[in-house]
Amino acid sequence: MPVPLLARLPRAGRLGALKTRTRIVLLLVVFAVFYVLGFSYHLIRWTAEDPPATTVALLYNLAILACYGALWLLLSHLFRRRQATPAKIFWTTLVLGVFLIGLAFLLSRMGRPAGLTGATAGFDYDTGVPLTLATVIKMNLLSLLVTTFFFILLLRFRDLVLFKRTKSSQRNWYLMLGFMALAALTTFMKPPVEEISLVQGLAMVPTIALMVINSFRVSWIVHLTFREKTIIIGLSTLLLAMLGTGLVAGSESLLPYASPFLNHYSFPLSFFGLLAMIFGILYCITALLSLIFHLPTTGDFQRKADEMAAMHSLTHLVNQVFDPEKLVTTITASPVEAGSADAAWLAVADPVTGSLRPRVIATHNISPALVAELVDTGAFYQDVLASHEPLLLEQAVADHRLDARPGDGLGSLLVTPLIARDEVLGALFVTREVTHGFEKDDVEAISVFAAQAALALDNARLFEEQIEKERMARELAIAREVQHKLLPQRLPTLEGVTLAASSVSAHEVGGDYYDFAPLDARRLAFIVADVSGKGTSAAFYMAEMQGVFRSVSHLAPDPLEFLTHANRALASSLEKNVFISVIYGLLDLEQEELVLARAGHCPAATINLHGEARFLRSQGLGLGLDRGALFRKTLAVERLSLHPGDVFVLYTDGVVESRRADGEEYGYDRLLEALRAHRHEDAADLHASLLADLDAFLGDIDHYDDDLTLVVLKWHGFDLARAASVADAGQQTPHPRALTLE
Amino acid sequence: MSNFSVGFRTKGAILVLALQGELDAHTASELEAAIRKCQEENSYQIIVNGENLQYISSAGLGVFMAHIEEVRENGGDIKIAALQPKVFNVFDLLGFPMLFDIVETEAEALARFENAEA
Repeated sequence: MPVPLLARLPRAGRLGALKTRTRIVLLLVVFAVFYVLGFSYHLIRWTAEDPPATTVALLYNLAILACYGALWLLLSHLFRRRQATPAKIFWTTLVLGVFLIGLAFLLSRMGRPAGLTGATAGFDYDTGVPLTLATVIKMNLLSLLVTTFFFILLLRFRDLVLFKRTKSSQRNWYLMLGFMALAALTTFMKPPVEEISLVQGLAMVPTIALMVINSFRVSWIVHLTFREKTIIIGLSTLLLAMLGTGLVAGSESLLPYASPFLNHYSFPLSFFGLLAMIFGILYCITALLSLIFHLPTTGDFQRKADEMAAMHSLTHLVNQVFDPEKLVTTITASPVEAGSADAAWLAVADPVTGSLRPRVIATHNISPALVAELVDTGAFYQDVLASHEPLLLEQAVADHRLDARPGDGLGSLLVTPLIARDEVLGALFVTREVTHGFEKDDVEAISVFAAQAALALDNARLFEEQIEKERMARELAIAREVQHKLLPQRLPTLEGVTLAASSVSAHEVGGDYYDFAPLDARRLAFIVADVSGKGTSAAFYMAEMQGVFRSVSHLAPDPLEFLTHANRALASSLEKNVFISVIYGLLDLEQEELVLARAGHCPAATINLHGEARFLRSQGLGLGLDRGALFRKTLAVERLSLHPGDVFVLYTDGVVESRRADGEEYGYDRLLEALRAHRHEDAADLHASLLADLDAFLGDIDHYDDDLTLVVLKWHGFDLARAASVADAGQQTPHPRALTLE
Repeated sequence: MSNFSVGFRTKGAILVLALQGELDAHTASELEAAIRKCQEENSYQIIVNGENLQYISSAGLGVFMAHIEEVRENGGDIKIAALQPKVFNVFDLLGFPMLFDIVETEAEALARFENAEA
């Protein structure tokens, strides 16, 4: 079962609909009751053949006003919600007019006593009492038909007058209606006479003035097409003819011979109808004349509107293109396709070199070679780059920046900068074959288009950059992954010594390196290295250092030998401005001895069980600083015999040079201090404590400026009895406490 | 937000580059450009005054390494003078004193150039 429409409406809407419906019903009832009352009044007058008492006449007149007031409101309800085109307004008015007035015309012809004409027809000359039943019926029906038509006329024209309404136009309309009603009411209870009284005349003056003002509200005309205009010209001519017939025929009413019936029915109503007719005629005349005058310009107006629409749709299109190459082609072609220009080209500052010399990257309807030959694109580009404003040459050939002759098709030239985010991305050149080819609105339309095009271009670039950025990020993530694998995944376990190590890169990849290489059951080689510089190039040298360490440490484990070999191996591949600082050590568990060499690296910190701490600052050049004999000559080693509880801390400059917000460096002293405080912890705990101390010093800073590596070795003492059970030293097992920070 | 600058001075035929601020991976290119400019002008006797140099990173040190060879091949030298202790420590750790003339004052550096010519 279908749900009643009312039930489906939202509550507020339903209430509104109910209210409207109640109102309509109420108005209908008022109209019908008073209409019938009026009819009865005339019947009584006819049968009584007497003029009525003044009170009764007053009551009758009031009833008629109420009746037609209700009719006006009913009709205005009917037409209010219908949005109609001007053509529809005219033809509905015309059709309804022909119908209603035609009916009235037929009615006025019926039952007319022969010989009786003019104002005396059917009424007692003195009292105005209707003489026949036909007269009674005719006066009632004629009034209804004619008044309905005038109401419809006013209500329909209302939509035309109030097209693109403003506050003042709305006020003028309602003032006019008010004064019309006022002028009509001046005849209230007056006998219908030909002469206009003074009061009536006074009320007429503003009425006519407002009618004239409202008649000039014909702005709807400019939006019409040629066809619509011709149709409306025809319709308004017919309507004008219909409205004017009565006047031409010498009657002051729409229909000849009808005015006595209307006047005797209700003079104010008849008078209101007359005023409505005058307004209708006035409005039809102005509309007709305006239409005729606008007819020749319709083509131009339409062309302009089409151009605007084309530009608008192209602007939309431009925003959908992400492929920069396709985008520049579209941008260049758009003004030509929209009909705003004959040829166009686009120049942009070279995005690759970032130079300000513009390049023509797209042309439309003109060859790039011709542009290069005829136009100094660069000079124009500099001009708009400086001004940020469009540049218009009405007579392009006269400009020295053009090498064109009148036949070259460059009559006028418009250069519009493409500006996005306050930056000139390029310039759009459009030309017309004729001189003075660009009007002010053309310049504006192309400027608006250029602004949109610039945005689209900017977006496309950002989009591309974003893609590139993401690609780089992916590559770097892979590089980071690979570099991470170059560091030891697990630390070797050796009897008598505990190890802990970590490395963090300031960027995705870095130049820090640490590693351990158990050479045999009793010897462990280790390294901490720092490639100068940061980022990708440092990461490559770090990888090379790793290769050198993993191979050379087995062949030449002695620090002096190892570093000399490494220096020689790296010399050929290191750039002149790149060097690697290295600290390399060889731990001999059996001899309980550590041999260290420092090649330009931060000195290792050491502390014994008693808290005696120092830096081991032996002499040595960084790898790559000298490629000759000096390196070997100046390199010194440090031999240390081990005692249980000895701790060695190796690190890169990222540790000591880390700066907190106020610029203060962590420094060597704090490192030694922290080492002293935590020296009793095993390697992993000590490592964590040192980093925690550094972090506490740095405070809020959550990002290291530099690559940061920290390695801790702690000697616990070699237990000979247990040494026998140590498995093959080459085999590495996961270190449970090993810390590898990311 | 570069807080590094290079000032040029001449002492006769000798060019003095007065460094100021922090020389790191980002600002190294400025010193690079300055030294290259010296070479373009055929000035190979260069003193780098580090009186106002607050910080140097390994990338900054790399700039000296990149040019010393060519400067010396042309009969000149880069002498480094008046470094602050903390900055000198960075030079020293890498062994730069073994490769470069690093002296206490600019006057001393000038004197060394003059002695070499005499």
